[in-house]
Amino acid sequence: MIEILRAGLCDLVMDQGRPGRGALGVPAGGAADPAALVAANRLVGNDDCAAGLEITLSGPSLRFPHGGVAALTGAHFAATRSSGAPVPWNETLVLAAGETLTLAGAEAGSRCWLALRGGLAVRAVMGSRSTFWPGAFGGHLGRPLRSGDTVRIGKAAGPVHLLRGQPPSAGEDSWPLRVIAGPQAGRFHDAQLATFFGADFRVAAASDRRGIRLSGPGVAHAQAGLPSQGVLPGAVQVPPDGQPIILGWDGPVTGGYPVIAGVIAADWPRLAQLRPGDAVSFATIEVEAARALAVAGWVIEELA
Amino acid sequence: MKASRNKALPHTGRPAWRWVSERGLRVATGDATLAYYAALRRRGFPELEDAIPADCSLLLVLRRGAEVSAALWAELAASPAPVPAEAGKRHEIAVEYGGDAGPDLPYLAAAAGLDVAAYIRLHGSVEYTVAFLGFQPGFPYLRGLPRALHASRRASPRTQVAAGSVGIGGAYTGIYPGRGPGGWQIIGRTAAPLFNPDSAAPALLMPGDRVCFVAA
Repeated sequence: MIEILRAGLCDLVMDQGRPGRGALGVPAGGAADPAALVAANRLVGNDDCAAGLEITLSGPSLRFPHGGVAALTGAHFAATRSSGAPVPWNETLVLAAGETLTLAGAEAGSRCWLALRGGLAVRAVMGSRSTFWPGAFGGHLGRPLRSGDTVRIGKAAGPVHLLRGQPPSAGEDSWPLRVIAGPQAGRFHDAQLATFFGADFRVAAASDRRGIRLSGPGVAHAQAGLPSQGVLPGAVQVPPDGQPIILGWDGPVTGGYPVIAGVIAADWPRLAQLRPGDAVSFATIEVEAARALAVAGWVIEELA
Repeated sequence: MKASRNKALPHTGRPAWRWVSERGLRVATGDATLAYYAALRRRGFPELEDAIPADCSLLLVLRRGAEVSAALWAELAASPAPVPAEAGKRHEIAVEYGGDAGPDLPYLAAAAGLDVAAYIRLHGSVEYTVAFLGFQPGFPYLRGLPRALHASRRASPRTQVAAGSVGIGGAYTGIYPGRGPGGWQIIGRTAAPLFNPDSAAPALLMPGDRVCFVAA
């Protein structure tokens, strides 16, 4: 069990999501960087699909009355333990009974993932323990954790191994985000395309898991009635005000705004780490090249 | 911007398709969207993570790293068997029209040149088909709205629309399963539970189902 002494800004129970339900209007959802949550699970000896916590911008203070085995991956947050021991990222952590783990603000980036040995034992809804907050289902009561909540941890089997994970070389966090041309790119005039691909946008404060809202030069377009089309996370929609929205993990499955571009899956982990005020720009690559890019994997090894 | 757009399928040259992301293949399925969707569901292609019907198109979502199999290309190239209209379930949805439940009804009726009673009769006079779901879990886009009732969305979306609200958006009528922001013109409200995540069949209305509205 964990006790939420103080909730963070938005602590959500997440696993690998519930893909395959688009026809119901239900997005796949799940951890914003699924590979980072898988890595955290492996560091504590869980199945890849176990549920952990996705923590955004400012983290919670958690008490472990019976102790536990934990791992943190993703963005580094200022973190302390009541034992005074260090809180390394990408390593197996053994927490003593009664110990408190406190995460403050993200030092860079936006999100980290906390796995606990045994996994968070919330009820699965439509095949997943992921929180879908817009629909108030999944996760812990369909919402972010609140101060005073308790969450059960599942039973774990087998011995504990102390492991270290090596994240895929993030490449460069250098911009721009790689996109393939969207299905309605042809609806934009050359000048508007030049604006879209030439500009620096800023991540707006109103961003969340449904969409990363950008502010910058308006990308106007001829708004002829567009039939609703299926959309995936990473699709860059341009609503009538010309300010692009990158659809997020909990975004709608169909949409009627022109899609100018689509962020390739290899760059979704970077979307997960965008924070309000960050600069964003885009560059196209060919779809064949995007398909050839494997999503880089983590290396997990025994701690020496 | 020369991404693969509207290439013809191998072999037969139909229907048009394009990659919208490296895992998303959008197929222009026109009036046969539900027939394609039903055919793909029946066959169960292992490379597909999902198939999302929309307005005259179907978005196929490939599993990570998977390729489209020859069998799937062949299925897309073949004209799917039409789905008989009676294949979908038929639902009667009781609606409280107008008043607080339907604040845009007087405006829409006036715009259509009808009195409110005639507007309600016309909206309830036809059998609609669920074309696809989207926007919210369980939100049905219903095809079949009489042309006189087509209406554009509100210029300024409401920040809060009540659960069960029946609305008009362009050529569609639809129902908001849950409360939230929304830009459709609201004409009434139903108490029917549209979406229950804990049910084995979470969405009351599924693509291909038929819907009649009955004034409560």
